[in-house]
Amino acid sequence: MDPSEVEFLAEKELVKIIPNFSLDKIFLIGGDLGPFNPGLSVDVPLWLALNLKQRQKCRILPPDWMDVEKLEEMRALERKEDAFTPVPSLYYMEITKLLLNHASDNIPKADEIRTLVKDIWDTRIAKLRLSADSFINQQEAHAQLDNLTLMEINTTREFLLDSLNFMFKLRSNLQPGSSKGQLTDY
Amino acid sequence: ISDSQDVMTPAELIAKLEEAWLNEKFSPELLENKSEVVECVMEQLTHMESNLQRVKKGDAKASFHRMEIDRIRFVLSSYLRSRLQKIEKFFPHVLEREKSRVEGQPSLLSPEEFAFAKEYYTNTETYLKAVALKRMPLNLQTVDLLKAVPEPCLDSFVFLRVKEKQENILVEPETDDQREYIVDLEEGSQHLMRYRTVAPLVSNGAVQLI
Repeated sequence: MDPSEVEFLAEKELVKIIPNFSLDKIFLIGGDLGPFNPGLSVDVPLWLALNLKQRQKCRILPPDWMDVEKLEEMRALERKEDAFTPVPSLYYMEITKLLLNHASDNIPKADEIRTLVKDIWDTRIAKLRLSADSFINQQEAHAQLDNLTLMEINTTREFLLDSLNFMFKLRSNLQPGSSKGQLTDY
Repeated sequence: ISDSQDVMTPAELIAKLEEAWLNEKFSPELLENKSEVVECVMEQLTHMESNLQRVKKGDAKASFHRMEIDRIRFVLSSYLRSRLQKIEKFFPHVLEREKSRVEGQPSLLSPEEFAFAKEYYTNTETYLKAVALKRMPLNLQTVDLLKAVPEPCLDSFVFLRVKEKQENILVEPETDDQREYIVDLEEGSQHLMRYRTVAPLVSNGAVQLI
């Protein structure tokens, strides 16, 4: 999956905006939004929030978890634990990147937030690399990865799955008469 | 259109499309076609587009609707493209599965996809014949495409998220010195395992490939 497709999914997450315009309720296929009144917060999907922000029609409010103290705690916990700790949002990385790129003026302490989220991401990716490595070494057949986000899974997806599948085929070829070892286009 | 479609809200329909999109993207084999979902989504899109034609230019709401339509179109196109890629890749096997389908079983291909697959098969045969086979010795002039074209590898690993709790799923060992064991799949949990074991669960919606 392309990272932009993961971002596409992340853009469905709801965020609070403060519009500077008026509009009565709109009935999208995916659900109802609004009504929009200047100065009153309203929940909209991120894709719409970003578009409105770019057209200077709103201010975006950072989600509750996008706060320096809370993120510092999360970072500390993530560094301490061997396992993956629960994330503030399934799409924490994408939301952070999109908001900081397009609405950093609405995010207090944007630079610190950026660093903290990156640190959390780096720690988790390092853990993921270790897990993937041990999964392959131990030739495990199953793993549970509850707190991993889609973007994190996606960084390792192609390489990990291709490697596992290829190893399976090589192993199957060791068994005489097996038809499972067909090597398809690589 | 089955009864269950009548009570589905448009939002649920779009969610179903996205689920189908992800499942098809990550599954090693072609999945059952979801033509009812595709048709209903097309209906929603056409309906919304015709509404937008009647609205005057510069209408604020129109841009919101347009953006949403574009997003849904993207998912729909990507979903259909995924399926076409697999149809092309596994065409003799896909046709074989469809041929050996029993009455009452849901079909693998939509009517359009079936026509496409058959055409692709004929074109490939004609091409191979014209380019190489007709120059072969008489006893080597046929190719069994079912044997020549590799089957999808159902033992590929996939990532999945559990939607409905499943108990006692058998995990087969990778090596000879390992033993098989069972796992329970808790609702909301995420796993990495072989597709073959969970294929029926993808089919019935108990797990979602991610």
